[in-house]
Amino acid sequence: MFKKLIEESTAKSPWLFHINAGSCNGCDIELVSVLTPRYDAERLGFKLTGTPRHADIVVVTGPVTKQSLPRVLRAISQVPEPRCIVTMGSCPQSGNVFRGSYSVAGPLSKYVPVDVDVAGCAPKPEAVIDGLVLATQILKEKRAKK
Amino acid sequence: MMTIVLTALQYLGYILIFPGFLFCFVIGMLLCGIDRKIVARMQKRVGPPVLQPFYDFFKLCGKETIIPAAASKTTFLAAPLVGLAALVVLQLFIPIHGFSAFSGMADIIVILYLLLIPAMAAMLGGAASGSPYAGIGLSREMVTIIACELPLVMVLLAVGKVVGGDAVTFSFSKIANYQLANGSLITHASLIPAAIAMLLIIPGETGNHPFDTAEAETEICEGLLAEYSGAPLAVYKLTHCVKVLTLTSFFAALFLGGIGTGIVVVDALILVAICIVLTIVSISFVHAITARLKIEQVFKFYWTTVTGLALISLVLAWYGL
Amino acid sequence: MSFANFLDYHHFPVYSIMVLFLGAFLIVLFGKSKFMRNLIAFLAVASSLACIVALVKPVMLDGEIIAYWMGNRAVAGGYAIGIALEVDALSLFFALLISTAVFVSGVYSLQYMEHDNNVPEYYTLFLMLSGGVIGLVLSGDIFNMFIMVEILTFAAVALTAFRNKAHGALEAAFKYLVVGCIGSTCILVGVIMLYAQAHTLNFAQLSAVIPGNMNNATKLAFALLFVGFGTKAFIVPFHPLAADAHGAAPASISVLISGVLTKSGIYGLIRLTYFLFQTMNLGTFQFLLVFIGSVSMFVCVTMALAQHDFKRLLAFHSISQIGYVLAAVGLCTGLGFSAGLYHAMNHTLFKGLLFLCAGAVLHQTGTTNLDELGGLSKKMPWTTGLFLVGAFSISGLPPFNGFASKWMVYQAAYQKASETGNIGFLFVTLIALVTSVLTLASFVKVSQSVFFGRLPAKYENVKEVKGGMIFAMCLFAILCVVTGLFPSAVTKYLTEPAARAVFSVVNYIDAAMGTGFAASTMGENLPVVASFNFNELGYWSPISWLLILCIALLAVTIVAVSGKYDKVSESSEIADSKYDLFFGGEKSVYSQVGGGDLFWGFKHNWRHYFSFMHDLHSGIVNDYSLWAIVALAIVTLFIQIVL
Repeated sequence: MFKKLIEESTAKSPWLFHINAGSCNGCDIELVSVLTPRYDAERLGFKLTGTPRHADIVVVTGPVTKQSLPRVLRAISQVPEPRCIVTMGSCPQSGNVFRGSYSVAGPLSKYVPVDVDVAGCAPKPEAVIDGLVLATQILKEKRAKK
Repeated sequence: MMTIVLTALQYLGYILIFPGFLFCFVIGMLLCGIDRKIVARMQKRVGPPVLQPFYDFFKLCGKETIIPAAASKTTFLAAPLVGLAALVVLQLFIPIHGFSAFSGMADIIVILYLLLIPAMAAMLGGAASGSPYAGIGLSREMVTIIACELPLVMVLLAVGKVVGGDAVTFSFSKIANYQLANGSLITHASLIPAAIAMLLIIPGETGNHPFDTAEAETEICEGLLAEYSGAPLAVYKLTHCVKVLTLTSFFAALFLGGIGTGIVVVDALILVAICIVLTIVSISFVHAITARLKIEQVFKFYWTTVTGLALISLVLAWYGL
Repeated sequence: MSFANFLDYHHFPVYSIMVLFLGAFLIVLFGKSKFMRNLIAFLAVASSLACIVALVKPVMLDGEIIAYWMGNRAVAGGYAIGIALEVDALSLFFALLISTAVFVSGVYSLQYMEHDNNVPEYYTLFLMLSGGVIGLVLSGDIFNMFIMVEILTFAAVALTAFRNKAHGALEAAFKYLVVGCIGSTCILVGVIMLYAQAHTLNFAQLSAVIPGNMNNATKLAFALLFVGFGTKAFIVPFHPLAADAHGAAPASISVLISGVLTKSGIYGLIRLTYFLFQTMNLGTFQFLLVFIGSVSMFVCVTMALAQHDFKRLLAFHSISQIGYVLAAVGLCTGLGFSAGLYHAMNHTLFKGLLFLCAGAVLHQTGTTNLDELGGLSKKMPWTTGLFLVGAFSISGLPPFNGFASKWMVYQAAYQKASETGNIGFLFVTLIALVTSVLTLASFVKVSQSVFFGRLPAKYENVKEVKGGMIFAMCLFAILCVVTGLFPSAVTKYLTEPAARAVFSVVNYIDAAMGTGFAASTMGENLPVVASFNFNELGYWSPISWLLILCIALLAVTIVAVSGKYDKVSESSEIADSKYDLFFGGEKSVYSQVGGGDLFWGFKHNWRHYFSFMHDLHSGIVNDYSLWAIVALAIVTLFIQIVL
C-alpha cells in the first residue's frame, strides 16, 4: 500500500532545481513565469528548491558552456534518485544560435541521459508545464521500477 | 495486573494516537496544507491541494537518502528524529480545554525550553552535515531564536501574573482552570497586546515567511537543510508542520482557553478549528503580504516592536489593570 | 586515646584539609618517580573526598554543626581564642562540590599532564590549591580564611603561569597576581579592622558581636571584605582576569579556577553578608547583590559571544553563571538560596566537564582557537558527545541539570518580584532567561566550529584522547545528568539543608560559642530571620518527561527504520561528486563561504554596545587595578549610605 502511496505522491509533488548553464536568461524568466498566478504550477505540486538534494526534476537552461559543464554535471550528480532531467529551450538540445561556438560544450545529452526536452526559444509557459507534467510521469515510472 | 496493562495501553495511546503522533501528523500537515492554499488564494492562484504536504512527505520517503562524505552520520540521521519526538512530547503537555494527557508534568517555562530542543536538533543536524550553507543557516536560526525568546518570555510572565495575581504562577493547569472559571484570557484588556505579540512570534518560531531567513532557499540554499535528502528531510518537513500545530495550540491554551464543551472529541475539533484560524491569521496572511526580511531586521523587529507590545502587557498586568 | 577516636567523624574536616597539604609535601619529597607522585596525588584527593562525603550524613541530614577546635582550645570566658573549624550544612555543601571537582580534575591530570615538564611541582601546587579552598570553606575563623585565600591565590597564580612557554601565560599570571593581591590586601585590612573593633577573629563570635555594634570602621571593613571576596569570585568588574587565567592555565586547573575558586568567593560573600553582617532583612543590600549578579550574567555572556578562543569563551560563561548564583542568593528567599546553591553545584559540574573537553581538544590538536578547529566529531566521538552533554547542561536544556537550577532561579526572582511588588526583580527573570538563550547560542557556535563543520586537513590524524581522561569527563557528565534528573532529591538532601543553614545564624553562633551565646550577646539585635518559605511556581517532572520522550523516540525510530530510514547511500573510498557538499556545483574544497561571525544579526543591532565593551576591556593591568579601586570606592559609599 505504501509503495503505491509513494508512487502516487512522487507524481504529485515534483520539486524543481534550476540550473543555468550559460543561458541568455530568457528561459529562466519563462520558468519563473510558470509559477506566477497566471499559470500557477504550484497547483500541480511544483516547487522551486534551492539545493539539488531536495530536487526531483533538474531543469537545465542554456547551451552548456565549457565553463559551466563540470558544475552542471556535479550538481546533477548530487540529486537523489529517482530523478528526472529536463532541458528547457533549444540551447541545451542543439546549441541553438550558439552552436559551433568555441566555448559551447553542449548538447547536454552527450553527458547525461535527458528525460524530457522542451523546445522553443524561449518555450511558452504552457509548453514548459506540459514538459514538466511529462517528467512527473517519468518520475513515477522510475520510482515504480525501483 | 489487568489495570496496569490497561493504563499503560491508555498512556501509549496518548503518546501514539491522540494527542500524540497520529494527531500531530494529520493535523500538522493539514494546517500547512491550508496555509499554502490560503496564501495561493490571496495571491489569486489556484494553489496546491490541501493534501499537498502529505504528498511531499510520502514522496520524500521514497527518495534516496544521501549522506555527504563530510557529514557525521549518526548525528546527521538522529537529529531529525530527536527533534520530532521532542516536539510531539511537547504537544502532549499542552492541555485541550479540560483534557490533558500529561499536562501536569511541565509548566509554561519548561515548555519554553522544550521548544528549543527541536531547533537545537535541527541546528546540530545541519552542523553535522558539514555544509557551509548550513553554517550560515545555523547562525541565522540561532539569532532568530534569540530574537523570539525575549518577547515570548514577557508574554508568558504577563500571563502568569494575570492568572496568579499576587501569587504569580507558571502552572498550566492554573491557567486552564482560571480560564474555565473566568473566560478566555484574550478578553482581559491588559493581555491583548501580549496576544498580538504572541501571534507575531508564531511565524518566527516556526520559521515561516517573512522570518524564514534561516531556510532562505534562494540565497543560502535552504540553510540548515542544504544537505538533507529523502527520509530525514521528510521528517524535518513533518517537524515543521507539527511545530505550527504546537505553537497555535500553545496560543489557544494560553489565550483562548475556556472555549469547549467538556467532551474530548468535540474539544479536539474545536481546538483544530482554532488552530486553523490562528494559522491563517498569523502565518498565511503575514506570508502573503510580506517579503523575506534580512536577519538583522528580524532581530530588530522582535526586540523592538514585538517586545514593546509584550512589555506593555507585562506592565499593565503588573499594575493590575 | 584509642585508634577508634581517630575515626570519629568530628575529626574528618581537619583530615580532609590535612591529607591535601600532606600530599603536597610528600610529592616534593618523592615526586621524582611517576608512579609515586600519581599514587600520592590520587590518594590525597580521594581520601579528602571520602572524608567530606562521610560528613554528609551527620551534617546535612541530621543537621549537626561541627565545631572543631584545634588542640582542644575551646571557648574560654566568652572568647574564642583557638583555631576553629566550623562545619555547617553550607560549608559542607561547598566542600562537597569542591572536593568532587578536585577529585575529577586530579584523575584527569594523571594523563593530561603526562607530557609536561615539572610535573611534581604541578601536583604540589595542585594539592596546595585544593587544600586552600577546602580549608577556606571549612574554616571557622576569619584570619584562617585569609590565610587560605593567600595559599590558593598564589597556588593559582603559579599554576596559571605553569605552561609559561605558552602565549600569554605569564601575562595572565601577572594580571591575576596584581588584582588578586589587591583583593587579598582588602581582605587582610578588613580582617584587621574587624579585630580592632571586636577583639576576636572567630567567625561565630564576630557574627554575634558585629551586627549590633556597627560603626564606620566595621562598615569600611565590610566593604573591603566584600571587594576582596568579589575578586576571588571574579564577578564584574573583575571578570577580565578570569578570562586570561582560564585561557592560559592547563585545563585541569581551569576546572579548579572556574569550578572551585569562584565558589570559594561566593561562599565568602554569603558568609560575609548573611552571617557576619546579617543583611538578610535589608532590601537595599539585596539589591546590590542582585544587581551585580545580573550585570555579571549579561555582560559576560555577551563578552563570550565575541570570543574566538575555546577556553576564554568558557571563562566568560563561567562568570555569567556565577552571576546567576549571586543574583539568586541575593534574593534572600528560601527558594532563591536553594536555586543559587543548586546552580553553584551544577556550574561546577558542567563547567568542569566543558573545560575538560576543551583540554582534550587542546591535548590532541594543540590549539583552542575556534577559527582553526573544525569537524572533530568524526575523530573524537566521545569528547563530542560529552561536550554536548556539558553544552546542553550549561545552556539549560531539559532534562540536564542546568535547566533545573535556572528554572528555580527564574521562579525565585519572579516570586520575589511579586511578593515585594518591586518590578526590578522581574527584569532579573528576563535577563536570566535571555542570558540562558545567549549561552545556548554561544555553545552552538562552539559545537559548530570545533566539533562539526569541516575538518581542516591538518587534523586528519587526530585521535581520541586516552581512557583515563574520558573516564574523568564521564564522571562529570554522569553527575550532570543525575542532578538534572532528580532535582527534588538534590534540593531535599543537599541544597535545602544548606539554604536552611543560612537562615539559622543563631545555631551557627551557638554551636561554636555555647548555647545561648547569641541570645545573651545580641540581645534585642537577635536576627529576625525571614521565614523559610519554599513554594515553587510551577512543576516539572524530568523522569516522566524522559520516559515519554524515550517511548516517543523509540516509536519514531521503529517506524523510521522499518520504513528503511537507515537505508542510505554513503560514499565509498573512491571520490564521487555525488557525496560532495553542494556548493553551487563547485568542488567541496572551494566551498568557503565568508561569514565567520555567527551572530552577525545580533551583534549588528548591538554594535555600539559591543564596541563600547571592546574599548573597555583593554587588557592593560593598570586599567583592571583601577576598576578594582573604583569598585571598592563605590561599594564603600554604598555600604556607608545603606547600612
